[in-house]
Amino acid sequence: MERIPILKMGEFVLVSIQVDMHDQLAMTLQDDLTAQIVRSRAKGVLIDISALEIVDSFIGRMLGNIASMARVLDAETVVVGMRPAVAITLVELGMALPGVKTALNVERGMELLRATLGTPVETGRAPAESPNGHPQN
Amino acid sequence: MLPILTVKITSEPDVVLARQRARQLARLVGFDAQDQTRIATAVSEIARNAYVYAGGGHVEFLIEGQTAPQLFAVRVVDQGPGIPHLDVVLSGQYQSSTGMGLGLVGARRLMDVFDVDSTPGCGTTVVMRKLLPRRTPLVTAAGLPSLLDALAATRSDDPLTEVRSQNQELLRTLDELRRRQLELARLNGELEDTNRGVVALYAELDEKADHLRRADELKSRFLSNMSHEFRTPLNSILALSRILLAGSDGPLTVEQARQVQFVRKAADELLELVNDLLDLAKVEAGKIVVRPGEFTVDRLFGALRGMLRPLLLNPALDLVFDDAGDLPPVVSDESKVSQILRNFLSNALKFTERGEIRVGARVEGPRITFTVRDTGIGIAPEDQETIFKEFNQLDHPLQRRVRGTGLGLPLSRRLAELLGGHVGVESTVGVGSTFSLTLPLVYVPAAPGAAADVATRDPYVEWRTDPGRIPILVVDDAAETLLLYQGFVRGTGFELVPARTVPEARQLLKTVRPAAIVLDIPPTGEDGWAFLAELKSDDDRRDIPVMVVTEVNDEPKARALGAAAYARKPVDSAAFLDGLRALVGPQAGKRILIIDDDDVARYLLRSALREMPYVVSEASSGLHGLERARTEHPDLIFCDLRMPGVDGAEVLRMLREDPATRDIPVVVNTVRQLTPGERAELERAGAAVISKEVFATGTAAVEIRRVLTRAGVAV
Repeated sequence: MERIPILKMGEFVLVSIQVDMHDQLAMTLQDDLTAQIVRSRAKGVLIDISALEIVDSFIGRMLGNIASMARVLDAETVVVGMRPAVAITLVELGMALPGVKTALNVERGMELLRATLGTPVETGRAPAESPNGHPQN
Repeated sequence: MLPILTVKITSEPDVVLARQRARQLARLVGFDAQDQTRIATAVSEIARNAYVYAGGGHVEFLIEGQTAPQLFAVRVVDQGPGIPHLDVVLSGQYQSSTGMGLGLVGARRLMDVFDVDSTPGCGTTVVMRKLLPRRTPLVTAAGLPSLLDALAATRSDDPLTEVRSQNQELLRTLDELRRRQLELARLNGELEDTNRGVVALYAELDEKADHLRRADELKSRFLSNMSHEFRTPLNSILALSRILLAGSDGPLTVEQARQVQFVRKAADELLELVNDLLDLAKVEAGKIVVRPGEFTVDRLFGALRGMLRPLLLNPALDLVFDDAGDLPPVVSDESKVSQILRNFLSNALKFTERGEIRVGARVEGPRITFTVRDTGIGIAPEDQETIFKEFNQLDHPLQRRVRGTGLGLPLSRRLAELLGGHVGVESTVGVGSTFSLTLPLVYVPAAPGAAADVATRDPYVEWRTDPGRIPILVVDDAAETLLLYQGFVRGTGFELVPARTVPEARQLLKTVRPAAIVLDIPPTGEDGWAFLAELKSDDDRRDIPVMVVTEVNDEPKARALGAAAYARKPVDSAAFLDGLRALVGPQAGKRILIIDDDDVARYLLRSALREMPYVVSEASSGLHGLERARTEHPDLIFCDLRMPGVDGAEVLRMLREDPATRDIPVVVNTVRQLTPGERAELERAGAAVISKEVFATGTAAVEIRRVLTRAGVAV
């Protein structure tokens, strides 16, 4: 059974999607990731999609779902490394990924997470275009 | 429309494959990175819909249009239940339970042209099109293979996906293979049908060939039988005209003689035609037997010269035979060689009005070539082959004047082939023709059985007894005594067959059956007595009465050894003849019965027997003949083979069954050439065979005498 590996990095978990996932694999990742958040008491989730050439509505929805679930489990989610073409396409497709924070790369994503968790600064250093990051707080 | 590729959607991973292919293809046909992603995303949405809602389908990638900008088209086809609320979905109002209601709508936004054709229950077809950038080169059918090659070379980063894509290709290949196999099976079936047809055709051809063979055989048999039927009346005509011309029943007037001559000549010609036909039929039926023997060309030419000189009536024409004295002897069938050359010569005589006809021979290696060269009308090149075909005669004024059977050359050719050689012709119209016959110097029989027949024939010189007289074998070493006896029998019915020694007598007895033997036993010659004893212990010759004429006074010894008469030398004419008459006398009144349905045949046979001292009776049918045979008990029966009702073979069988007639010698008198089998059967039944043709050729008396002697009733 193929799976997407999930890495624990301190209080964060890192998922680097290197393959073009089929839908079931995406669903499995969603389940695995929520289980891992609980198991490792992670405070943040980094999802690296820099290898993905396509993000369609299903994967987009999956990313949104992960962010929502993680938030429910008290963890912040940042999607990093989205290609510009993918971003444009997602917008054209009508998906704005609401509730999903994004960052340019893993490093910036870590900074964003630390800023969100460790410092009281809410939005200051977030470089990505997600000003409406956490309306639930 | 140029189809590029089709991807089947049967599982989730296939959706991934479809969108990857879409991206790769989009790159290969010239779209930029953004459009590649758009296209791939749109394909992913629609392909997922096909999988999720219809359980699968397929994605086709095509290029539309032939001028720039071309359209890159993707058709996604499924056989699902269709989309129930298409309008709602497309208006963006629909809330999907699985996705975000973005599939169709989003995809439509990503592409330039977007058509959905969905029929509830019959499936959905989505066609998406995007214009290619203007600058990209045109995609053509010719360029397609390299495009696909490039696609194949595009390896996915993900080994799993790669395996999957290869799997799908493999499946497609397998599918293709299965289709080809089906096609092959169909072709095989077709071939088998064709084969059966061919086999049936062959069978039909075989049947046809068989029919032809049978027809050919029938033709040969018909020819053979007809020829025989013709020969009977022809032989009658010839024999009767011979009798008329001989004047044996009163002389003819000059005019009558001429008319009968014409009748005879016409019959002769007709017989020649019939004989040629018969020969041809026999050659075709393989019934002609080659009887090889050694002969010299010189002798052959001599015989031909003798035969043909009388035909040379034209003073402007010379018949020249080259000197053949130096040529080696030839081993072949002389009569057939002679027949072929006679044919050539009679043709040359017919078609040459002046000049010469030259007959020659030359030896080249193991073969000898006979040539007949004339200075006649010649034969055009186009006719040189046809003249060897049956019933072919060339149209020429001279041809019309001189008649021929049209069978001579074909027959010659067949005979030559039979002898292992061939005939040929060289000719120039108006200058003359040269016919040639080439043969092996030594005939090699085709089958080993052919030569056996020759070996059993002994090459003796037969003593031809005079059929009109009674042969008496005289064994005496003194020539003057033989001369004396010759004087005694002059003017009587006896004919002396002289033998100077006992071995010579033995030799003669092989071919001659004398009515009596006059045996001289000299005082010193013991082998005379031995010969007498030998004769009397020989079953075949015991019956021949022997008169011992000797200077030795020992009549008891002679009688004891079986001598029928005894005379002391010197004997005078009266004693000699009385003695002979006493010995052969009882034979003089022998009866002969002729059974034949043909009046002419009976008449001819009786005429031939008239000179001989027999009592002749006749029967015109088999039954009548059997009755006469029982009541008259003749010493010999001549019986025709072919008669209506009870035929000759039947008569023979019935004669042999009846004890009263069992021992009567029978001579079968037939016009038909018998097969060796028939002949053997007749001989087993104790019958001698004589051909009716002897009446036409004038040798009847000799032949009859011969069979009478064989049958032991000669006087």
